[in-house]
Amino acid sequence: MVGMVIERDSVGEEGDDVVTPGEFLGEATEFIAGKGAYVSPNGRSVRACLTGRRKVTAAPPGSHDNRSTIEIVGHKAHGAVPQPGSIVIARVTKVMARNASADIMCVDSKAVKEKFSGIIRQQDVRATEIDKVDMYQSFRPGDIVRALVLSLGDARAYYLSTAKNELGVVSAQSISGGTMVPISWTEMQCPLTGQIEQRKVAKVD
Amino acid sequence: MDVDTGNMTQTNLVDKVVVPGDVVLDLTKMENQTIKLGSGLHQDCDYISVMQAGKLRLSKPNKYWVESSQKRYVPRLEDTVLGIVVEHRSDNFLVDIKAPNLAFLPVLAFEGGTRRNIPKFETGTLIYARVVKANGIMNPELSCTDASGKAAEFGQLKNGYMFETSTGLARMLLSSPTCPVLEALGKKISFETAVGLNGRVWVNASSPDDVILVSNAIMRSEFLSGTQQRIMAEKLLERLQKS
Repeated sequence: MVGMVIERDSVGEEGDDVVTPGEFLGEATEFIAGKGAYVSPNGRSVRACLTGRRKVTAAPPGSHDNRSTIEIVGHKAHGAVPQPGSIVIARVTKVMARNASADIMCVDSKAVKEKFSGIIRQQDVRATEIDKVDMYQSFRPGDIVRALVLSLGDARAYYLSTAKNELGVVSAQSISGGTMVPISWTEMQCPLTGQIEQRKVAKVD
Repeated sequence: MDVDTGNMTQTNLVDKVVVPGDVVLDLTKMENQTIKLGSGLHQDCDYISVMQAGKLRLSKPNKYWVESSQKRYVPRLEDTVLGIVVEHRSDNFLVDIKAPNLAFLPVLAFEGGTRRNIPKFETGTLIYARVVKANGIMNPELSCTDASGKAAEFGQLKNGYMFETSTGLARMLLSSPTCPVLEALGKKISFETAVGLNGRVWVNASSPDDVILVSNAIMRSEFLSGTQQRIMAEKLLERLQKS
């Protein structure tokens, strides 16, 4: 019930003042709540729910409702979020019979701020002979892989794919602890012992 | 790390007890040879060192391994093991084989196994099976058929008595020629046994007295030599007037 005198900004411009969540923006009879704003429970006022600057947009001509839209812009940028089609760098955490789980660390060369889980299914490891894929010969826990996000997946994890030449294991450690060198698209060699281990290797230019 | 390798073209530790950290071979002092390393040995750049306490063994010309005995089992490919069914999932049974992970036994991994005749194993069923997939990362996988798909004694073990032993005793019972204690008992009692390399032994005989006698004799024979095993078995048989 706080009545505040608000300077009406010119329509289409952003104000200079910063608003915080809960702050009164306008009357619901005069404004529509856009992104970052909401109509308060009593139905009469529009309030902010993000921190940022207020922006008023005029109603599109010809619409039956001629209220302006108020929204909040310029809020703190979030960390990167994987989207279908983006290339991610992930670290393999678990290898199982039909899939491998990985923690997504970077999305399109920007680091993520919170943990995202991804799953690489057996049929998405490579493009050829997908029913004969042996997960143990493609990935090991601790490998760094470059993968493509296929879809948002289920509630637990994104679905990732390494079924391209430039996708797959980018860096891996051998059993002896040395960082391995790729020698083909299926094999990597340890420089300390000379042992060869199988991985689905990414072709890095 | 200061390593005293001495003269290491041929190791002098064969058939001796070794502990983790012992250097067995120095690869820089050996010319082009192929060496095969079995369990318990690890290549550390130019040295072969011991990872597990036990006796070092050599099988001429070039195969080295460490024989050790533990209560826990590390799954190896093609080992025959005795497992206990813990759960029944849609496409495999979860079986406990004394390993770090539960093993998967596919419901179709039986002779003539189809979706229509899936065996009904309850929790606690004892199974004799063969390890078909064992890497350190994933759950091991078992099968109740041999390599050609036949049943070959694999499957559920009914009646009888199962007890746990160390892996070393299990290997001794399976060695050829026949282990002395089994031979001595077999002369007077008729019984059947199944030995799992994971440290489980199952014994079945016509009467409970015989089952107990055979089980006790096996359990006592771990650290006895061949002759001592025969004497021990004969004494037990005498006491129960089986001669």
